Amino acid sequence: MAKAFKYGLKGITGYLEPAERELLRSLIDDVISMLQPQERDGQDPLAALIGLDMDVAEPTDRAVRRLLPNVVKDDGAASLEFRQLTERSLRETKIGALRAAALDLDKDEIVLTTEGAKHWSMALNDVRLVLAERLDIRDEEDAEHVHLMQDWSQAEDVESYLALVYNFATWLQESLVQAMLQSLETRR
Amino acid sequence: MTLSVALGPDTQEGTRTGTEEATDSLTAPDIPWNLVIWNDPVNLMSYVSYVFQSYFGYSESKANKLMMEVHKKGRSIVAHGSKEQVERHAVAMHGFGLWATVEKASGGPGGNSGKSGGPGQGKGKRG
Repeated sequence: MAKAFKYGLKGITGYLEPAERELLRSLIDDVISMLQPQERDGQDPLAALIGLDMDVAEPTDRAVRRLLPNVVKDDGAASLEFRQLTERSLRETKIGALRAAALDLDKDEIVLTTEGAKHWSMALNDVRLVLAERLDIRDEEDAEHVHLMQDWSQAEDVESYLALVYNFATWLQESLVQAMLQSLETRR
Repeated sequence: MTLSVALGPDTQEGTRTGTEEATDSLTAPDIPWNLVIWNDPVNLMSYVSYVFQSYFGYSESKANKLMMEVHKKGRSIVAHGSKEQVERHAVAMHGFGLWATVEKASGGPGGNSGKSGGPGQGKGKRG
């Protein structure tokens, strides 16, 4: 059974069972694959290098759209213009955090620096955002409904399994963020 | 680095006459813009507060106040600045997974207009 993250002398530490690490690794890999920019033929290599992507479009997948949202509400054109300039580097930032977290999953005991903890919290958040889209969590009521699912012996279908995974990721992120807030307070 | 290159003022072509937004951002960088954070049922309240504290350097009480405003009212203006500044914040917020948008301080529902008293600012977004 996983142990909640806590803040102490060594920094922020946590412990995960091998099966839990395996689960998180596969979730992280899924999110990375969703965020991987598509390489197209005839793309300007210099533009790609500095992060420009003039062929970018608003993502069609709802979960990807939640990870990479429009920056201007109700203005697709202005949002698209912004995507051309920023989306590629945003994808890379997210992938960077997810990869960093995945690397920490090689050991049972997880010991995180401030920066490492930040990457973990971002990675867990993105994993949860994707799971929440798959679970159709649209409002607080939906979230409450999913939250009720806590018993692994009840996991009979994909949805209840996803709900349990979501709740596990939520619990883990909450304990991590509490440790990060404590660390922030200590450093002040 | 990418952002500062990408969002330089000269990337806006002046060819689209009539679009005030392009003109505004060129000639009046002091027009205030808002960074808005929207509520969603996934982001943890503790995480949103942590992001406000660690990224913006807000105190715990200010961060919690803004977080509760997001949670209860559905949205909150958490920062002001030039268009470039709030856009940079928005990308950072998207990096954290928060749902952030930018808007002109004078427009948009619930946007408090502030004291933007510069010359030539009386024009509305839509003529």
